[in-house]
Amino acid sequence: MGSEKKPEKFVVSIGPQHPALKEPGHFEFGVEGEIVTSATARLGFVHRGMEKGTESRTWVQNLYLMERVCGICSHVHAMAYAQGVEKLAHVEVPPRARAIRELIAELERIHSHLLWLGVAAHEGGFDTLFMLSWRDRETVMDLLESITGNRVNYSANVLGGVKIDIDEAKISAIHKGMDFLEERTRHYMKVVTEDETFLGRTRNIGSMSLDLALRLGAVGPTARASGVTYDVRVDSPYAAYADFPIKVVTDTAGDLEARFVVRIKELYESFRVIRELIDHMPASELTTRIPRRMPEGEVVSRVEAPRGELFYYLKSNGSDMPERIKVRTPSLCNWGSVLSTAVGHKLADMPMILAGIDPCFSCNDRMVLVNQDNNLSTWSWEDLRQYGIEYYK
Amino acid sequence: MTSPIEGVMDKVKTWARVNSPWAIHFNSGSCNGCDIEILATLTPRYDVERFGIKLQGSPRHADVLICTGPVTLQARDRLVRIYEQMPEPKFVVAVGSCGISGGVFQGCYGVVGDIGDVIPVNVYVPGCPPRPEAIIYGVVQLLKSLQS
Amino acid sequence: MDMEQKLQAATDIVKEWTISTNNPEANRVDAVIAPENVKKAVAALLDAPWGYLSAITGVDHPEYSTDEAGVKHVIPDKGTLELLYHFSGGAVVFTLRLTLPYDHAVVDTICDIDMAAQLYEREAAELFGIDFAGAPSKEHLVLPEDWPAGVYPLRKAFTGLKQS
Ligand code: SF4
Repeated sequence: MGSEKKPEKFVVSIGPQHPALKEPGHFEFGVEGEIVTSATARLGFVHRGMEKGTESRTWVQNLYLMERVCGICSHVHAMAYAQGVEKLAHVEVPPRARAIRELIAELERIHSHLLWLGVAAHEGGFDTLFMLSWRDRETVMDLLESITGNRVNYSANVLGGVKIDIDEAKISAIHKGMDFLEERTRHYMKVVTEDETFLGRTRNIGSMSLDLALRLGAVGPTARASGVTYDVRVDSPYAAYADFPIKVVTDTAGDLEARFVVRIKELYESFRVIRELIDHMPASELTTRIPRRMPEGEVVSRVEAPRGELFYYLKSNGSDMPERIKVRTPSLCNWGSVLSTAVGHKLADMPMILAGIDPCFSCNDRMVLVNQDNNLSTWSWEDLRQYGIEYYK
Repeated sequence: MTSPIEGVMDKVKTWARVNSPWAIHFNSGSCNGCDIEILATLTPRYDVERFGIKLQGSPRHADVLICTGPVTLQARDRLVRIYEQMPEPKFVVAVGSCGISGGVFQGCYGVVGDIGDVIPVNVYVPGCPPRPEAIIYGVVQLLKSLQS
Repeated sequence: MDMEQKLQAATDIVKEWTISTNNPEANRVDAVIAPENVKKAVAALLDAPWGYLSAITGVDHPEYSTDEAGVKHVIPDKGTLELLYHFSGGAVVFTLRLTLPYDHAVVDTICDIDMAAQLYEREAAELFGIDFAGAPSKEHLVLPEDWPAGVYPLRKAFTGLKQS
């Protein structure tokens, strides 16, 4: 891949990956020598038509469908949906149920951030960190399983509350888990801020200024790493976030390193708030009654998913099935930031930049087609990753 | 009639395949729940690599196709293409309720059906998502059936 | 700034284009505007600056006929589409609403003033059949290439693809 080559056009097709409604993407990178000059996206490989699907299912059935928009952040989807429906029905969820929702949401954030840390490290060629963070992630998976009965898609929510409770034994298990993870997270913080090779791949790479982040409508840790202070948990507290608040974590650097640092600092916040939650769990019922037919109306429900603001719009026509449900997942906002930060960077940086927004890179079936002088040749995602790693050797 | 030498060769091949199957993973529209559990089988807690199971990047090197999710309109052709690119003999493991029946996504307009509707499946692993242990068990069942 | 003030600020910004407003929830205000004013209203909100564009939602309002058994049926090709531009600012959500008839479902794109809108617009274009005049890209975003032209899955009249 010498730089004397004629301008080439790369077609990067990232196969089905982010599971949410339509996130899996196909990217086309225009490349001149090493440098990316343009980027466009094509989504929809796992477009299943769920928004339409909701219109032929009842409000209760949809809870299970919405939970499966995304298997990684399933709880926040179910929670956003349930909160919207509860607003439509004008019911108040009991305090203990709200606290448990927050607890699961924060545990889920830990699992999701650790998962991301591993995958992002893998894209950069740091497989040791990948394996370590996934090993530690099993701690939180065990906790989630012991509390809810399932490792993924916990199904903790019901309309009007939650169906799980925690007891003394679980509380002490959670404490132990948090202590262990906190210690491990300190270690990760050291790795991402001190390791020379790692910094070579992250510092000043994929930078996005505050201004640009605002204009692109970036959300979540990606935006907060550029200094944007949006966080729905603070801006518009839901569940029990008003009683058990979190602090917004931001950074000003706006580069890949900052995105690592912000997510790791968010882990500390999660550990802290989880400890507080289990120590001061309010006592109350777990559910309230909720009608099967929702009164006519429309509501907006927003929650902060691990990847950013998740937006639900629900419209009821007074029957037992919704008239319209709109889901806007956070990754959809963040594609824009990838497409514009990609330009001007080396092709070798693409895997890390893409991973930087945390688009749930969990499949290994991504392909890169390289169109060289009109000869179509194929590069797998693996090849691109290897290319990036070799380049930085 | 197979000659004795071919018989021995076949035995050797089966032995090699059973002891170190290479797999490729394809998501044809899943919610990623199944996918993260498949990935979890590679990480230290479960670590299937110590049994010789390796996840491969290219279908041309794979013996086993591990699929997740219902099949969407856009993923159908890709799924078939990947299946066709795999060398014979090839085996398919469908992971998750979605792969078995379409799961919760049944009836959505973007979904054409389950994996069995599109390519032949050897082993189904039920669950939403199945635990990593279940996925490993499913692969082991496949290998057992190959041995006999 | 508390919620009311924040919402009032938004209402004032788009006042000159507003036809009517509605307050469906404590933290929300909806302002109905004419389709031709969308660009001006969005630009005014962004310039203020007031919040950010959170989502664009399409809603289909077909006309229904009722048969003797009392069952409602969608009348094809009759009805309106509604576009909702949701802006979030802290705890509040301010929504611009506009209505488009089926036979002239055209509205100006806002991509040139808000880059974030592109994916939302392309989604609404594909799933509802709304034409965003001047949009930078009208290619398929989420539907397959061979999806039949003129079929919009999120319209109520759509009940599934015909088996070919
Ligand atoms: S079976 Fe469950 S976890 Fe697996 S893809 Fe389907 S919905 Fe997701």
